[in-house]
Amino acid sequence: MDFLFAATAVLYALCAATSFAYLAGVSDKAALWSRRLLPLAFLVHTAEIGARGVAGLHPVSSVREAVGFAAWLLVGVFLLAQLRRRLDAVIAFVVPAALVLMVAARMTPVGDTGISGLGVLGRIHISLAAVGLAIFALATAVAVLYLLEERQLKRKRIGGMVRRGTALDTLDRLAHRCVQLGFPIFTVSIICGAVWSARLGAGFRPEYAIAAVAWAAFAALLVARVTAGWRGRRAALLTIVGFAAALAVMGAYLLRAALD
Amino acid sequence: MAELVVVGLSHHTAPVDVREKLAFPEETVALALKELGALPSIAEVLLLSTCNRVEVYVTARDDAPRAAADVRRYLAAARPVAAEVIETHLYERLGPAAVKHVFRVASSLDSLVIGEPQILGQLKAAHALAAEAGSLGTLLGRCLERAFGVAKRVRSETSIARGAASVSSVAVDLAQRVFGELEGKQVLVIGAGKMSSLAARKLADEGVAELLVINRSPEKAAALAAEIGGKARPWESLPELLAAADVVISSTGAQRPIIDRALMKQTVKARRHRPLFVIDIAVPRDVEPEAGKLDGVYLFDIDDLERVVAENRKGRERESSTAEHIVDAEAAQFLAWQRAQAAVPVIKELRERFQGVAAAEAQKAIAAAGASPSPEALQRLAESIVAKLLHKPLMAIKQDDGLAQAARRLFDLGETKPEKEKP
Repeated sequence: MDFLFAATAVLYALCAATSFAYLAGVSDKAALWSRRLLPLAFLVHTAEIGARGVAGLHPVSSVREAVGFAAWLLVGVFLLAQLRRRLDAVIAFVVPAALVLMVAARMTPVGDTGISGLGVLGRIHISLAAVGLAIFALATAVAVLYLLEERQLKRKRIGGMVRRGTALDTLDRLAHRCVQLGFPIFTVSIICGAVWSARLGAGFRPEYAIAAVAWAAFAALLVARVTAGWRGRRAALLTIVGFAAALAVMGAYLLRAALD
Repeated sequence: MAELVVVGLSHHTAPVDVREKLAFPEETVALALKELGALPSIAEVLLLSTCNRVEVYVTARDDAPRAAADVRRYLAAARPVAAEVIETHLYERLGPAAVKHVFRVASSLDSLVIGEPQILGQLKAAHALAAEAGSLGTLLGRCLERAFGVAKRVRSETSIARGAASVSSVAVDLAQRVFGELEGKQVLVIGAGKMSSLAARKLADEGVAELLVINRSPEKAAALAAEIGGKARPWESLPELLAAADVVISSTGAQRPIIDRALMKQTVKARRHRPLFVIDIAVPRDVEPEAGKLDGVYLFDIDDLERVVAENRKGRERESSTAEHIVDAEAAQFLAWQRAQAAVPVIKELRERFQGVAAAEAQKAIAAAGASPSPEALQRLAESIVAKLLHKPLMAIKQDDGLAQAARRLFDLGETKPEKEKP
């Protein structure tokens, strides 16, 4: 299990390094390497999650495992999105994000929020939250690349990032698709979480407010796109705000698990 | 030995007024190939005539300089240009230099803009014409085939052809950075300059949905629309057209901007922030620079485009040394093949001679001994074949020590004479 975790981490790190090299213009061949390494890393990661599941630490057994699972999902969703588009530059943002999620989950102690603490509702809540988080993470990675490329193009710097990146419109539509997909999942997750914590009789916690902010940001994004044609730079910024809030909620959970 | 020869002139050596006089219109190429091929010094011929170069590639039968001189004479006689005018501009390459030249031309290393792909297409067309006229044989034919292979290698192994190298292709390239595929996009052409027609045509090649043209003069709009396969629209509809377009190319002769910030702001609102890509190639500019700062508007003027062109060309030149290495290596390989090829006739004749001797001796033996020869008759037959085959070589070896050494190598006779070899 530890070996698989280390192997996954190393492969992701290599993949991130090659994609950075590509984006920085060191070598165009580096893109090929990162594109080849990623499915391999994903396979090893799959094995790692499978091994943890067999050992009883399956994805919905705790917040910690769910976050680790989100890292795997993020890469999986990206690989699917990549089937139909050329997204070499996005790898440089997706893989480090997955790596951070993975390591953050790992560094949190197993804690007491084990299988006994979570009911069915709690499990649905954290698993959907993991899925939503993964999809939003991809939307954010795409949005960040969009902003960087857009800024270069506006400044009429046509080299590097713009040449190696993906067309702005493609990125914009991909980020939108992700938010469209992730939002209902995230919504159901929040409702489950609210009902669950009400049943447990737990009091108000600050992360509930942050979760509301995340939800509102994504809701506003979807509504504004339809009604006011919000897209491009503004949409990218709002996506990042929403994801940051969602990430803060997750951080609060992990922190609490670590402190408890 | 047959050798390749190149005679011609290009933008490197001749100004356009000389090039255009020497250029062969396509319908005259077949005749020229026939006439050149009929020259006694020439075995194979190909004629490449583009606006940047006129070159004749030939295989000389045995005397390369003579073939080159014949081609020079032919060029002066065939085209309406005085011999002394082209004489100073013509260059010639013989043998290995000719092979390298053909490879460099095909790989676009000799082009005005290094790495531009047109020349390869033109060379392929010239190859097709020559093949049709039957003026290609083994050597030149193979040389061109290799040249196409080299061009492909250079394109895939170096980034010599990367980065658009003309204003109109940079415009298309940038539009793709914004939209990805341009299929189904709407293009609006404002004004009727030559540049905008070039850029519009490049966009049409990418499969845009519609090309709309507006101009203060409806006639000019209609003329340009007809030329580029678009539709003319009245000048007054500019605001609506701007709202609907994805790509705008502007090149009017107007002295003041025709699209200011206010109009662009209104446009952005009307198009609900869909991205708008604007190329302003007019001088003075048609679009206020401030208009390009609005969200979702990507504005490039002629200076921006020229700057990109210059950067890309510099990048291509940096890559050309890698490409030259590829050309050198491939040329060396081709020359090795050519040398091996030169031995082919000798091998063929030798085999025929030997088989002839064997057949003649066998005939004689059959005539003497009938259908079932005795063992002694077979022995005699074998000896007589060996004697016949060895007779002339042995005479020659006796007179020439070098041949004796060669015979040792050829027939694997083992140890050479001790006094000549080994210190």
